[in-house]
Amino acid sequence: MSELILEAVNLEYSYPDGTSALRKVNLQVQKGERLAILGSNGAGKSTLFMHFNGIYRPNSGFIKYQGQDISYKKQDLIELRKKVGIVFQDPDSQLFSASVWQDISFGPLNLGLSEEVVIERVKQAMLDTETTDLEDKPTHLLSYGQKKRVSIAGVLAMEPEVIIFDEPTAGMDPRHSHEFMQILEKLSLEGKTIILSTHDVDLAYSWSDRLAIMYRGEIIAHGLPGELLTRPEIVKRADLTIPWLIETHTELVKKGWLPSSAPLPKTKTDLFQNIPAKSGQQSA
Amino acid sequence: MIAIDAYAYNNKLKSVHPAEKSLFAMLTMGMCLTSSTMLTPFIVLVLMAGGIVFKAGIPTRVLIRLLAIPMSFLLISVLTIAISVSTDSSGFWLAQTVKGFTIGIHYPDLLTAANLFLRSLGAVSCLYFLALTTPITELIAVLHTLKVPFIITELMVLIYRFIFVFLETATMIRRAQYSRSGYVSLKSSFRSMSRLFSALLGKVFVKYQDLYNTMAARGYNGEIRVLSQKRPISLRNYFFIAGIEIPLIILNLLWR
Ligand SMILES: Nc1ncnc2c1ncn2[C@@H]1O[C@H](COP(=O)(O)OP(=O)(O)OP(=O)(O)O)[C@@H](O)[C@H]1O
Ligand SMILES: [Mg+2]
Repeated sequence: MSELILEAVNLEYSYPDGTSALRKVNLQVQKGERLAILGSNGAGKSTLFMHFNGIYRPNSGFIKYQGQDISYKKQDLIELRKKVGIVFQDPDSQLFSASVWQDISFGPLNLGLSEEVVIERVKQAMLDTETTDLEDKPTHLLSYGQKKRVSIAGVLAMEPEVIIFDEPTAGMDPRHSHEFMQILEKLSLEGKTIILSTHDVDLAYSWSDRLAIMYRGEIIAHGLPGELLTRPEIVKRADLTIPWLIETHTELVKKGWLPSSAPLPKTKTDLFQNIPAKSGQQSA
Repeated sequence: MIAIDAYAYNNKLKSVHPAEKSLFAMLTMGMCLTSSTMLTPFIVLVLMAGGIVFKAGIPTRVLIRLLAIPMSFLLISVLTIAISVSTDSSGFWLAQTVKGFTIGIHYPDLLTAANLFLRSLGAVSCLYFLALTTPITELIAVLHTLKVPFIITELMVLIYRFIFVFLETATMIRRAQYSRSGYVSLKSSFRSMSRLFSALLGKVFVKYQDLYNTMAARGYNGEIRVLSQKRPISLRNYFFIAGIEIPLIILNLLWR
């Protein structure tokens, strides 16, 4: 299970204007895992993602895919991008075709699939993201959340091994972000590796197997979500907050409602289960 | 421009195969331009206006507004043809003589002018029919099957998209400026405007860069390929086209 699929080794990157966006970033991604990357604005999450499929070339350090340094030759990059897909933060920059249907078909067609397979995949991706009724709409008439879903469909249709989502739920309404989490669930079950960046500590905490916290171009901590997010010094340093589940749990322990041995809840349901009913009501 | 685009995606003829609509519009336009009788352009105009309003379900006022755009150019050119000024007052059909100069209209000139007017308007109505019923993307797909070089169709796709990126960005910047009291005085208007242009340039450049990156991420290899929605081919429509064009051809031939 602990097979490495993607790895960043000592990655350094500065933008042409001199902004040093990544400093000695080391990150290992295991096959099939759910990795969340937390970090405040400008921490370098998007920049790091751009390295994972070779869009940006590091100033020093390298990216490994399945143990091999990635090569920046045109043909190799095309191969890499079949396996590592990115859903970008700004859907507007990703949607270039006029109609939704056409835009989603762009990626799978580039994989050299037959037309029937492409149609099949486009349809499935539209079902998964609930964009079927938008298929004929021009992309410039969509709402922000709709654009976001269409851009997700455009990458899902390519069925990459590793899927990177850059702030996927920003701008989505609660129902659609809930449904998006279910798509993620499904992808995980299919064995895909998923990397997701977010500012939402609650989401990152509940969803991820592993967590990396970025701050000003560095990964300042990585490990199990339950371990990292319970440490106020890290959370504070990265301009984040402690997830409400953990806060509530600690408070309940502190006030004696829960034994200190109670396991940290991962979801709302876990927390509610941990809380014992009042003795008077238990028999009722 | 924007209104036309919105209707193209949202009209009752949307699901008709784009090749059929293009063929119909282009052939009819050919008939209209090659005719020497005024009857053909007139029929074409009625036909296309009927098609746009009744078949495609586009509001009449939209069509009238659109037809009014070329009207001003047309009227000017038509008037210069129809009206002549001369020292010889003979042969005028309708004239006014002032101090030895006669301003008026020769009957043949009037015919030429009316003919030209109707022909241009007829041809424009054909183009409007196509533009209002067929999204650009599908037109590009038709061009594609006609073996128009990739580079041209791709440029069309990108230019089309970027028109909207430009517009959207410009609208957003302008709104932001208004809400912070830009354009309140002449001086501030000039300043706001110049800021708008420089911001626009920067933003569009960044967007262009982003677009390239995102396309690369989805396997772009120098050729934009997308699947167009398959539209049913309808034999009935081809018969319909033939049924319209053949009488027009006969009309044109008889009236030579
Ligand atoms: N094209 C660019 N040119 C110059 N500097 C850039 C560019 N894009 C990003 N930066 C800078 O690089 C740093 C990291 O940016 P990045 O977009 O990776 O942050 P992020 O973690 O994705 O932030 P956010 O949460 O706001 O999306 C920032 O300081 C930003 O100002
Ligand atoms: Mg970002």
